[in-house]
Amino acid sequence: MKDALLALAPILVVAFGGLGLMMTEAFGTRKKGGPASDLALGSFIVFMAGAVVSASLWAAGPEQLPGASSTAPWLIVDRFTLFFDTVLCLGAGLSALMAGGYLPEHRLDRGEFFPLLVFSTVGAMILAASGDLLSLFIGLETMSIGVYAMVGFRRGSLRSTEAAVKYFLLGSFAAALLLYGGALIYGITGKTDFASIGAAIKNGLGGRQADFGMLLVAMVLVLAGLAFKVSSVPFHMWTPDAYEGAPTPATSYMAVAVKSAAFAMMLRVLLGVFGDSASMSWGTGWPPVLAALALLTMTVSNLIAGRQESVKRMLAYSSIAHAGYVLVGVVAVIKPGSDAQASVLFYLLSYTVSTAGAFAALILCGSRGREAVSFEDLAGLGKRHPVAAFALSFFLLSLAGMPPTAGFFGKFYIARAGIGAGLNVLTVLLLLNSVIAAYYYLRVMVFMYMREPAPGAPSAIPMRSGYVTAAIVLSAVLVVLLGVWPSTSLKVAIDSALTFR
Amino acid sequence: MTVPIHYFLVLAAALFATGAVGFLVRRNLLILLMSIELMLNGVNLTLVAFNRLYPANHAGQLLAFFVIAIAAAEAAVGLAIVLAFFRLRGSVRSDEATALKH
Repeated sequence: MKDALLALAPILVVAFGGLGLMMTEAFGTRKKGGPASDLALGSFIVFMAGAVVSASLWAAGPEQLPGASSTAPWLIVDRFTLFFDTVLCLGAGLSALMAGGYLPEHRLDRGEFFPLLVFSTVGAMILAASGDLLSLFIGLETMSIGVYAMVGFRRGSLRSTEAAVKYFLLGSFAAALLLYGGALIYGITGKTDFASIGAAIKNGLGGRQADFGMLLVAMVLVLAGLAFKVSSVPFHMWTPDAYEGAPTPATSYMAVAVKSAAFAMMLRVLLGVFGDSASMSWGTGWPPVLAALALLTMTVSNLIAGRQESVKRMLAYSSIAHAGYVLVGVVAVIKPGSDAQASVLFYLLSYTVSTAGAFAALILCGSRGREAVSFEDLAGLGKRHPVAAFALSFFLLSLAGMPPTAGFFGKFYIARAGIGAGLNVLTVLLLLNSVIAAYYYLRVMVFMYMREPAPGAPSAIPMRSGYVTAAIVLSAVLVVLLGVWPSTSLKVAIDSALTFR
Repeated sequence: MTVPIHYFLVLAAALFATGAVGFLVRRNLLILLMSIELMLNGVNLTLVAFNRLYPANHAGQLLAFFVIAIAAAEAAVGLAIVLAFFRLRGSVRSDEATALKH
């Protein structure tokens, strides 16, 4: 029992930290001003504690923990889980810092944002650790329900509420599809944990022909549900609206932590449940479906992103495009070995710090009533406020994949894994898409440095906040570290890969 | 005489399909919420029916209980969001959610 507590320490630290924050918010006496600044610091400390505990357990080795096997199959404590726990805590911690500056600035200073953020992260950590349909569903919904509320946090704003309506409806629909697929799989195999399901499918289901038809239906439903959650084209309709309408810290959390957890779930399901050689072949399994999704996701979202007038919406489409790049790495997983998985994990880490930094810089560029919304708002910002403009440019360059930033090595490893798995066409398209993407990232910089604002037009005025600055500095340090010194993190990612077959 | 399991499965699939079609064609947010509940109930019925094939454990029924509990939590948040939307827009029709367009 005590051993199991140690193995679950990352989740428990964050969960109990969240309970403490909630109690403090509810019963604590408050000096003047809103609760956001205190709670932001508290949440950040909780998340960093979670990240440090996960990282130390990772370093000590989960196989050393006697309790790690007693929580399986519901919660699997392995290096994969602990890697994602660290990434999720990092992304959520950065979002908490952003919220500490953003919420007071935009008169949204209500404390419940932070417990929602923390408990949603607990759900994401459960999701990344799940090895059973039951814990997968609980983790998924714990994460999603918190995010629905965060998206609609600006209750008086039609845009925020509308974003929450759309995200809630499509998210619940996707969860129902996923669950029905899971129920059919349970009916075919009689098991709910991924390892036993995978073994039953591998052994040919006792040769019953009708079951193979049902398995195919189940696989389609599960893949559709997963594609919704990672916002892959053509299941992406909710993403731009939800990302644009949500308060920016919630957008950043969705783009970073929710997406990473969804990819962790995707890898666990694809490799655990559909990891047999028939399901992983080009003729009879999921690779062609996923390859088509990756192709559509990259191309369509990049073409639409270039035509956006709102910077936040452009970043939303860019985050869809990045999901497409990661999907290329997921398809490459069909080749035995840990390279492809490691490239996905590394990409998610580098994408987390780059995207969180970009959203933090976008928050910093605007203040109440003078928000940085459209490209025009940013005109001339490079001259008026060089620091904010430089921060935004830096993270956009990392997202575009310029060396020596984290984004470059993320794309490099994915491309290498793609070539290694024989996905030459997909890899070339990935590189072409990165070139298209550079257009709309550079367009922001053109507006900031080479355009003058039209006379009388509204322009963004940067806000001042220690929290947002801290988030930017922390992400910038990590982006540079991953960019100039990627080998250590890549080795960590390789050690974190799931074993299968 | 027992009812064959196929009857339950077909009924559950019909429930799920009704919910899915309702979700895709209707425009009233409350009906969309109900459609999602219908889909989840189809899932529950599937799980419980399949559990008869595997009497050694109760994994299917257990999962169904969790689905019921989580669907309740989801409906609470969903209704709150729909209520907030109604207050601002004065309507519960999903085709009037047009503030976010590029």
